[in-house]
Amino acid sequence: MKVTPENVRDFILQGLACEHIQVDGDGRHFEAVIVSREFEGKGMLQRHKQVYQVLGDRMEKIHALSMKTWTPEQWADNQ
Amino acid sequence: MDEKQIALENIKKTVTGNPVVLYMKGTPQFPQCGFSGRAAQVLKACGVTNYVAVNVLEDKGAYDYLKFYADFPTFPQCYIKGELIGGSDIMLGMYEQGELQKLIEQATAR
Repeated sequence: MKVTPENVRDFILQGLACEHIQVDGDGRHFEAVIVSREFEGKGMLQRHKQVYQVLGDRMEKIHALSMKTWTPEQWADNQ
Repeated sequence: MDEKQIALENIKKTVTGNPVVLYMKGTPQFPQCGFSGRAAQVLKACGVTNYVAVNVLEDKGAYDYLKFYADFPTFPQCYIKGELIGGSDIMLGMYEQGELQKLIEQATAR
């Protein structure tokens, strides 16, 4: 079954509390903007690993996921 | 040693034996995936020409087992002095902040 952007969004939300999340994609390539307090005090690599961990085996079905991972403060600065 | 151990040992040798390594789909000249192409372009923009590019489409061990090496499930992956930097998003982000250039400069300085 093809994975939809909504699926990816729901998968992430199951394991990560997000202030904001937006996922777009065509079923193989996805782009996500993820804003979470849980990213505070973490570098980019740790943030990406955290999202991959939440997705776990489901990454097998997701060919590629491009991510912007922000804390609420960084998100506010980027608006 | 089983297949996985051999693959992980090879990866370790490659990333610790070279200052800058990019595991990618395809080659820097002919990338087979947009994200891999972007990663190679970021390295090019950093001015590094003598990095080691491993085409995972021709390296079954890396293709199957790289995800276990640094617990990171996707390609491309960039290593500097044996440390995983990240995939193309992280590389681009660090490049835009001037951090990747600094790391590469330090790693390749003689």
